[in-house]
Amino acid sequence: MEVKSIGSFKELSKIFKIKEMGAIIGFVVIFIVFSILSPEFISWGNLLSTFTMAAELGIVAIGITMLMISGEFDLSVGSTFAVVPMVLALSINNKINPFLGFIFGIFLGAFIGYLNGIVTLKTEIPSFITTLGSMMFLRGILLAITGGFPIMLQEDIPFLKYFGGVCIGGLRYSGIWFIILAIIFAFILERTKFGNWTFATGGNLLASKALGINTNKVKLMNFIICSFMAGLAGITTFARFKIIDPTLGQGMELEAIASAVIGGTFLSGGYGSIIGTFLGAFMIGMVRSGLVLAGAPAYWYRAFIGIVLIIAAIINTKIRKKTAG
Amino acid sequence: MNNNLVEMKNIKKNFGKVQALRGVDFNIGRREIVGLLGDNGAGKSTLIKILVGYEKADEGEIYFEGKKVFFNSPKEAREMGIETVYQDLALVNLLPIWRNFFLGRELVKGAFLSIDEMKKITYEYLKEIGIFIRSPEETVFFLSGGERQAIAIARAMYFGAKLLILDEPTAALSVGETKKVLEHVMRVKEKGVSVIFITHNIYHVYEVADRLVILEKGVKVGDFKKEDVTPQEIMGMIARAAGVIV
Ligand SMILES: Nc1ncnc2c1ncn2[C@@H]1O[C@H](COP(=O)(O)OP(=O)(O)OP(=O)(O)O)[C@@H](O)[C@H]1O
Ligand SMILES: [Mg+2]
Repeated sequence: MEVKSIGSFKELSKIFKIKEMGAIIGFVVIFIVFSILSPEFISWGNLLSTFTMAAELGIVAIGITMLMISGEFDLSVGSTFAVVPMVLALSINNKINPFLGFIFGIFLGAFIGYLNGIVTLKTEIPSFITTLGSMMFLRGILLAITGGFPIMLQEDIPFLKYFGGVCIGGLRYSGIWFIILAIIFAFILERTKFGNWTFATGGNLLASKALGINTNKVKLMNFIICSFMAGLAGITTFARFKIIDPTLGQGMELEAIASAVIGGTFLSGGYGSIIGTFLGAFMIGMVRSGLVLAGAPAYWYRAFIGIVLIIAAIINTKIRKKTAG
Repeated sequence: MNNNLVEMKNIKKNFGKVQALRGVDFNIGRREIVGLLGDNGAGKSTLIKILVGYEKADEGEIYFEGKKVFFNSPKEAREMGIETVYQDLALVNLLPIWRNFFLGRELVKGAFLSIDEMKKITYEYLKEIGIFIRSPEETVFFLSGGERQAIAIARAMYFGAKLLILDEPTAALSVGETKKVLEHVMRVKEKGVSVIFITHNIYHVYEVADRLVILEKGVKVGDFKKEDVTPQEIMGMIARAAGVIV
């Protein structure tokens, strides 16, 4: 009897060692709290629309998670999130083939990441600074080109449906993308060489170099992935609203980083999880819609996220002392 | 002459005004353990960094197995069978043992890592050479300094090193752990591998070394077969070269 209970205790502590445990606990707590505050919260309609909102943020957060694990940062994702669909919108409104505009936008997104990476790695300036610069630069360009006015899509473009349109019920295609991308990147991170090198590069740069890993290439790839994902997420938002405000995505970088940190990713690199980030982004979406349904003024949203972030970080620190030191 | 595994000839290296190496000749025979000694800043680390392609020499030549070589990166040296274990740079602490063991040389099936296979090999190889771990999934962070050194040495052996370079492998270890690492070094030699053992402490290397080389301020000031010299004499030489009167 006693032996059995020790055994099950071991099993239990094994479960608590899962990287994503902090995110799972937080997720359940927030879910329960808002379900109690407002019964409508657990309706399918609300959960699906919450998930859609989470998806647009979450796609950005997946990219930033990869980059953060490799030991770098990107503050420019919010600007990229607006620049890429802006390029698409301007192409369409100027009668350029929309598909070409799409390809060009996505390519531009990846190219922003390439530039962020090259500048950071060649000059050895911290990426916090280089991407702060590109964040301001891109936003400035955006405001200058649009004169600060929103741009409206003048044509109906059928293929955009597959980015931001409704799939079934309240579920939009962005949600599907979010799930697919999360699965793909979880596999890349945990089960490929590139993922292994991403962990190693962020965890111990010099050791990785000494073992022959091309750490600059690994980081550069992750810069590109991060901006690519931000651009793609921007397109899903644009496809939903058919209009772009030049301030779109402002502050998003911090929410994306918060999603990753809530999900267990280290700010210092070398540790993290895509599934955790998935839950982290979903959690932020739940807080947003939950507060609205509970009748709280919109201002409370930021304050609440701040608290969630700190509590999650505390839980994660405790867990990682058991799993990773 | 071509019996040597490595011959470094007239190696010079400056860092700005610092003459880190001023024309050093350094040889390693086959199945030989060479203790490389010298005070702080003597140039020991620089010499081996040049050997493995981490730094480029300003002048000099390197021969490996009788052939002239030039390594652009540690990766190239590694491919030729030269493995280096740096004291703090050996392992990634946040990763499990098995990921560290195969880092940079992962086994894959198609695009995906063969995780179970790598775990199995890690566990069994470590067991085979007398290193017992609880689980290959254990995070390196939780291992002792000696266990970490042992795993890094085992990794080098598994991947067929011909030359193993240990940069101060015992500097942060307890007496017991140092002894264990020395046992591993002896076992490495039994497998036919040569070893360069860098240390400040002659007593750590004397027991296992075949030859002792002393560097001081970028110059080789001594090169002895172990039989020809006592640890006290070596100590005196290092101290005198550093300007300490004994
Ligand atoms: N990358 C570098 N840039 C500038 N100077 C360097 C560099 N690497 C080494 N040096 C200098 O070269 C000299 C030799 O250094 P090295 O690290 O080879 O010494 P060492 O014998 O390994 O010393 P220790 O026992 O302290 O490890 C020192 O004066 C050091 O300051
Ligand atoms: Mg040194």
